[in-house]
Amino acid sequence: MRTRLIVAFIVVVMVAAIPEAWLISLIFRWYPSLAKLAAIPGPIDSLLVEHRLALPPGGSSGARPFGRPDSVAIVVFFLVVVGLLLMVITGLAFAATRRVLSPVGRLAQAAQAMSGGDLTVRLEPRGRDELARLVATFNTMAAALAGKIAQLERMEARARQFAGDVSHELRTPLTAMTAVADILHDQPAITGEAAAAARLVSQEIRHMNRLVNDLIEISRFDAGTAQLVCQDTDIAVCVAACLRARNWAGVDSEVPPGLSVRLDRRRFDVIVANLVGNAVRHGEAPVTVRASAGPGADGRTELTVQVRDHGPGLPPDAVAHVFERFYKADTARARSQGSGLGLAIAWENARLHGGSIDAGNHPGGGAIFTLRLPTG
Amino acid sequence: MTTVLLVEDDPAAREGLELALRRLGYGVRSAVTGEAALDGLGGAAADVVVLDVMLPGLDGLEVCRRLRRRSEVPVIMLTARGGDLDIVGGLEAGADDYVVKPVEPRVLDARIRAVLRRIDRPGSPVETHGELVIDRASLIVRRAGREVSLTPTELRLLLVLSGSPRQVFSREQLLGLVWEHDYLGDSRLVDACVQRLRAKIEADPAGPRYVQTVRGFGYRFGPV
Repeated sequence: MRTRLIVAFIVVVMVAAIPEAWLISLIFRWYPSLAKLAAIPGPIDSLLVEHRLALPPGGSSGARPFGRPDSVAIVVFFLVVVGLLLMVITGLAFAATRRVLSPVGRLAQAAQAMSGGDLTVRLEPRGRDELARLVATFNTMAAALAGKIAQLERMEARARQFAGDVSHELRTPLTAMTAVADILHDQPAITGEAAAAARLVSQEIRHMNRLVNDLIEISRFDAGTAQLVCQDTDIAVCVAACLRARNWAGVDSEVPPGLSVRLDRRRFDVIVANLVGNAVRHGEAPVTVRASAGPGADGRTELTVQVRDHGPGLPPDAVAHVFERFYKADTARARSQGSGLGLAIAWENARLHGGSIDAGNHPGGGAIFTLRLPTG
Repeated sequence: MTTVLLVEDDPAAREGLELALRRLGYGVRSAVTGEAALDGLGGAAADVVVLDVMLPGLDGLEVCRRLRRRSEVPVIMLTARGGDLDIVGGLEAGADDYVVKPVEPRVLDARIRAVLRRIDRPGSPVETHGELVIDRASLIVRRAGREVSLTPTELRLLLVLSGSPRQVFSREQLLGLVWEHDYLGDSRLVDACVQRLRAKIEADPAGPRYVQTVRGFGYRFGPV
């Protein structure tokens, strides 16, 4: 960059010096006495005085005995030359600036493309100056960044794959344990401590089953292999069946009869079960489920399901985190009945449908979860 | 006593399921590989096959396909949770139903009972619908005089549909009546079974005469 500026400066000075030198030589030719005077050292003022005195007599606009221009013409001529010089200098400065700025512009564009996520962007280095070095550095940086991100993505994919594999591997021993848990549990011959131990083992096998199933479910969302199996579904029937299957007798449901929506019935059941289960476990009765269909914020028809409890509601700092995996609003509660993945799974299922779930508190008290699914 | 052929390669899972099935009153024979299962079925017949999808060598889907070529024995697949490819592949291979691992013994018991249950539907013992003759007493179906061999599930589906000709059944109704599933049953079971049934009883499965699709609602029998 600096080399370029110096070169541009020297060129400008040299070009500007040519007409100036010519002008000065012209003046000295017209005024030989001046040339003599110029050789005499002395104050500038006296030189100027001598200059004026040396003018030939006979008026400024009159005859020109030696064919010389008068002083006004000289001044005009001088001004024109200076004007021309200024234009030349401006033009040269403009050209030099352009030469410097156009690679900078390309760099800016490339940096913008990169910040937009395009890590494949590279620039062609031209020349061997600082700008070319900067371009080369930019290219090296882009390549390093792309490599780093690819490495992180590989690591993340491996971690996800690992979580999925672990869950699948756990399922095989769980299949055996689940099959025989009841046998252990139902033996009348086992009494006392052994019976308590058998009960504990059976209970924890069921808990681990839930946990592993939820982990597998989550790993399928992470891997992007979760698929929708949609069918026309009567929401009232589905909600009632969901509550009945879990023995949630105390939950009020207000769903208009005949409300039919095309969705993945199993996944919808999972969403409702997790939202109601969360309300039953962490909120207080009465828990209500309300469903309706109508135009959403974007004007398209959507199904809205609201699950509300009448407990103390969500702590303000929990609202943003309730859908995170294994998040516990109440740290004092070491472990609840759920897997800790229920709300995260509900959220993923809603997203898979192109919908959303919002968590918040009702002005009248209690937490309220709102599921919105597009029906179009 | 109902005999179950259990095909499962993992020793612990196999032993656990054997214990649970015996306790539920079933006779159990097990096979470790698909090849052994196909050989084993050549001898004493099993009433129902419980088949793991993930098997070394011949996988469960291929075992099911080969089984279907020579037998109408009901097959219940043991699948991975949400393994949609396994489920769809299993149903296409001719499985009657599927359960997800780890399966609770009472769930497996209910499924086995459902695929084996004989169905009683009102109607005269022998009905003729076009070229199709359905004998409800002997459970024999003939098309153009030739006997059609149907799996118990296919037969039950046909008996339910033909028991009320022209009545439209939704997939959910059929899941309840034929598979005894609850409201969360997988409607792909119905569609897959309808395809298999059509392939056996229809002259042109693409333009069905007996088992007709009522778009947006479900299926009905006839009008012939």
